[in-house]
Amino acid sequence: MSLPTGTRDYTYAEDMAIIRTKTQWALFTGFLIFLFTTPLYLGNYWLGVANLIGITIIAATGLNILVGYCGQLSIGHAGFIAVGAYTAAILTNRLELPFLVGLICAGLTAGAIGLIFGIPSVRVKGFYLAITTIAAQFIIIWVINHWQVTGGFVGIKVPYASIGGFVFRTEASQFYLIMTIVVLCIFFAKNLARTKVGRAFIAIRDNDLAAQVMGINLFRYKLLAFFIGCFLAGIAGSLLAHWIGFLNAEQFSLTESILYIGMIIIGGLGTTLGPILGVTFLRLLQQVLTMEVVPFLESTVALPAGFASGVTPMLFGLVIILFLILEPRGLAHRWTLFKSSYRLWPFSY
Amino acid sequence: MAELLQYLITGLAVGMVYSLIGLGFVVVWKSSGVANLALGAIVLISSWFTYGMLVQAGLPLWLGFPLVILFALVLGWVIERFALRPLIAQPILSLITVTLGLAYFIEGLVNFIWPWSVDALPRLFPTEPIRIGLAVVSQEYIWVASISLVMFGLLTLFFRYHKMGIAMRATADDQLAVQACGIPVTKIFSMSWMFACVVAAVGGILISSIGGITYGLVETGLKSFSVVILGGLDSFIGAIIAGPIIGLAESLGGGYLSPYIWAGVKDIIPFIIIIIVIIIRPYGLFGEERIERI
Repeated sequence: MSLPTGTRDYTYAEDMAIIRTKTQWALFTGFLIFLFTTPLYLGNYWLGVANLIGITIIAATGLNILVGYCGQLSIGHAGFIAVGAYTAAILTNRLELPFLVGLICAGLTAGAIGLIFGIPSVRVKGFYLAITTIAAQFIIIWVINHWQVTGGFVGIKVPYASIGGFVFRTEASQFYLIMTIVVLCIFFAKNLARTKVGRAFIAIRDNDLAAQVMGINLFRYKLLAFFIGCFLAGIAGSLLAHWIGFLNAEQFSLTESILYIGMIIIGGLGTTLGPILGVTFLRLLQQVLTMEVVPFLESTVALPAGFASGVTPMLFGLVIILFLILEPRGLAHRWTLFKSSYRLWPFSY
Repeated sequence: MAELLQYLITGLAVGMVYSLIGLGFVVVWKSSGVANLALGAIVLISSWFTYGMLVQAGLPLWLGFPLVILFALVLGWVIERFALRPLIAQPILSLITVTLGLAYFIEGLVNFIWPWSVDALPRLFPTEPIRIGLAVVSQEYIWVASISLVMFGLLTLFFRYHKMGIAMRATADDQLAVQACGIPVTKIFSMSWMFACVVAAVGGILISSIGGITYGLVETGLKSFSVVILGGLDSFIGAIIAGPIIGLAESLGGGYLSPYIWAGVKDIIPFIIIIIVIIIRPYGLFGEERIERI
């Protein structure tokens, strides 16, 4: 058990609560306060990084519901994010609808496209599903590149997000917008895993035939997982579109999809904490490598020309492989280990 | 008419290369149950290595080509030994994602060594166009098709008569029985990876000798997945037959559909075929239909 001794429950509601002790409440509130005061002590540059991390966390949380909980491997996540991003861009730029409408529609459109490409999941799994989603990725990107409405290869401009006249123009205001949605998404994901739906997902992941025998409607739940996963991808896409301000299909390549899979693997599949840790780890690594380490090395040592563009993917690939081999349960597992050893200190084992 | 014939020939030739690459996938899938999504990256890096040998080092063909094969063998061995061997008996999710990680790594490596990302191989085959009936076809396609055919023949002989080939087929059939016979299964795994890398390298050289070395080679590798999906994941015959079908669909569709839909429809025809096949007949034309039990 992960609770200190002496914690008693008097009602079922207490037993089921996520936050159990006063210390946990204090830590949780402290963390929220810390999170929402971050713009006070972070510069614009790092706020931008934090925004990117927040957006990626939303998308990765969606992917984690699909892959980590329901066990349906999707390697086309960047494609679904692109669907959301372009929906938001078209609605707010070409039709000049309000941001919130664009946000919801982006989620719904991405979810609907996810449903279409999720249909094969009812009959196939594993490698077949992986291939289907790769195909989905290529088809989506191809359509985006060739359809007039999306701006094609040229790209499309996206206005700033705005709610009721307030325009989210600075990094700090966008930070509040993004982090609110991140917190809502994580709250949703954490609770989803504890409901009937979440348990059905886990049953399907562990053995879908056995789940079917137990009376779980595979068709409905697999598609539901695809819908939720892609809905969150769409939300993330919409935020990304408004944050970057300019969209081009290049931003949603297959390598990006692979990176999302890598993030949830590194973080830990099937945990709510996993995507947060994995995304933070990989995005920070990316940022530090491309912005700090590589320029520093380039200014001190003579490097081959391909060093800057090659070293980041190489390191990412290596990190993914090493995590799979050495710590398949990801950083979230390490965190649990750390917590339990901290609780039992000085008698941890 | 002449146009049609031209599309047919180029489609068949390119499709045969897809088959060749797809065969590498099938061998690994059958023997070790690993879905090799790094295939595209392997095609890419071996084409670049060929470039490095023939153009940058300036080696003659008779020396450069064996070196490429040697490189592919080493690559396959390294991949199997250091990335896949530690993951034996892990869930399929890990096995698939580790090949994705590999793909990422290899693409980074290619960026690292050859950052300019587009180049041409020296002409390996004579380029004068030849006339077949009404059509005028670049001679390269004929060469590529015949080399692929020769490779198919050699591979069939290898799997039928060579001791190692028989052992590989046996492993695909039943790993436990093979181990009981005293055949080291891990050695078969690494053999199958080496094999996959060699055919991917040959396929890569053939494709890039026509179209140059670009990042599109990764897509070529991915397109060969449509070959194995259509043919059936565990069928050699399926891969050999499905390759030309995909190639034909690609070149005919690209030739005749482009005016009606958007340009570049050629590039996604294989992916549309994948989705259709998976919805209608997931185990492919010749694949074994698996019945799952709890």
